[in-house]
Amino acid sequence: MKIAISADGPDTDSKIAARLGTAEYMLILDPETGEFEALPNMGGPPQRAAGVRTVMLAVGKDVKTLLTGYCSPAIREQFRAGGIEIIAGLSGTVAEAVERYKKDHSAPRRGLSAAPSPQTTGRYRESLIDAAERSVRQFFGMLPVLVCVIFLLGAFNVFLSRRFLAAVFSGNAALDTFLGACFGGIFAGNAINSYIIAGELLRHNVSLIPVTAFLIAWVTVGIVQLPAETAALGFKFAFLRNLFSFISAIIIAILTALILSCSGKIL
Amino acid sequence: MKAKSAHQSSIAPYLKSAVILPILTALLYTLLFMATPEKALAALKSSLNIFQNVFFPLGLVLLLLFLLNAFLKPAKIAKLLGKTSGPRGIALSAAAGIISAGPVYAWYPLLKDLKEKGAADSSIAIFLYNRAIKIFLLPVMIAYFGLFFVALLTVLMILASLLIGYCIGLFTKMDDAPAAPR
Repeated sequence: MKIAISADGPDTDSKIAARLGTAEYMLILDPETGEFEALPNMGGPPQRAAGVRTVMLAVGKDVKTLLTGYCSPAIREQFRAGGIEIIAGLSGTVAEAVERYKKDHSAPRRGLSAAPSPQTTGRYRESLIDAAERSVRQFFGMLPVLVCVIFLLGAFNVFLSRRFLAAVFSGNAALDTFLGACFGGIFAGNAINSYIIAGELLRHNVSLIPVTAFLIAWVTVGIVQLPAETAALGFKFAFLRNLFSFISAIIIAILTALILSCSGKIL
Repeated sequence: MKAKSAHQSSIAPYLKSAVILPILTALLYTLLFMATPEKALAALKSSLNIFQNVFFPLGLVLLLLFLLNAFLKPAKIAKLLGKTSGPRGIALSAAAGIISAGPVYAWYPLLKDLKEKGAADSSIAIFLYNRAIKIFLLPVMIAYFGLFFVALLTVLMILASLLIGYCIGLFTKMDDAPAAPR
């Protein structure tokens, strides 16, 4: 059985990280043999979904218990869903925490546990409240950029649109589609912004094929995420995946327009 | 002290993205109102029209977000990945991609680990491509492009994900294959 410990350093003399989300390392340790593996915080900027990233890592390593300092209720819920027990509120070194864990392991624990509790209803309610809070946070998290995109599109519609779009999308179907896919691949962010931009492009009579290519490339091609994807999955994989996704954006756009045209359902 | 600095550095980029764009937008509108008030007002009206289009679908987005968060935890979805191979593994990868939400950064460590444990590149590619299908944003997409377009695009994207997964599997297998003895 493996346990994970969030730590400030790569060995067992390191301190337990004060917060799970900002831990520099996660140590995956077998308490019986004492063998461990130190995993640095990786996979992109540390501020992006650090807690959930840790959950994924723990699930992938078949961890059964996590020892940490502070862990937010939302992330606790994620660990619970993954069947991982959390023992939070710890301090001191990793070695000390592991020793304490080994001592307590045979005795019934009073900490946070993934085992079914008698207060299942309470936990269910807590889970729903947590889901509601996270949804509101995610929703309002995407709103500032969305609102700005809408205001910028409003200005674009009045001040720039025709001249600018005529300069960018010349009417050459092949070039326009290629450009649509390029713009989609370069821009990043919530897909909702791409829908609104694409909707406005269609309103300004930009052809459906480049607009669809733009929509698909926005969500499938990730130039901005390429370094993180390369670090995790290798350059060849990341390069091929993005290249194929780019090509697919163009092909799907053409197919979509063809099928829509054949079925008489013009947007 | 160390934890504090790490925490501060993790907040800064959020502040940047949350503050800079609104400030730039406000600045742009201030300049526009100073230069050409009538056109600036028209721009504002045009923005409000766009808001009207997305207002109701956004309510549904919030509802779908809640349902996804309540019933589909990333850790549960993670368990669907890389455990089986063949058609079932492919279907599970595609399904996991479609129902997964949140930033892709969260998934990289798990995908790396699965790859190291021998999960097929094709399954990982299929998962990543299907993340492009955003269930919780479907109301906004349908409001803009109609149900037929969205359904068609979704089906074509799922099919494309399978083809891309197959191609990536082929290309990466070529690399892994041992050199033929001479």
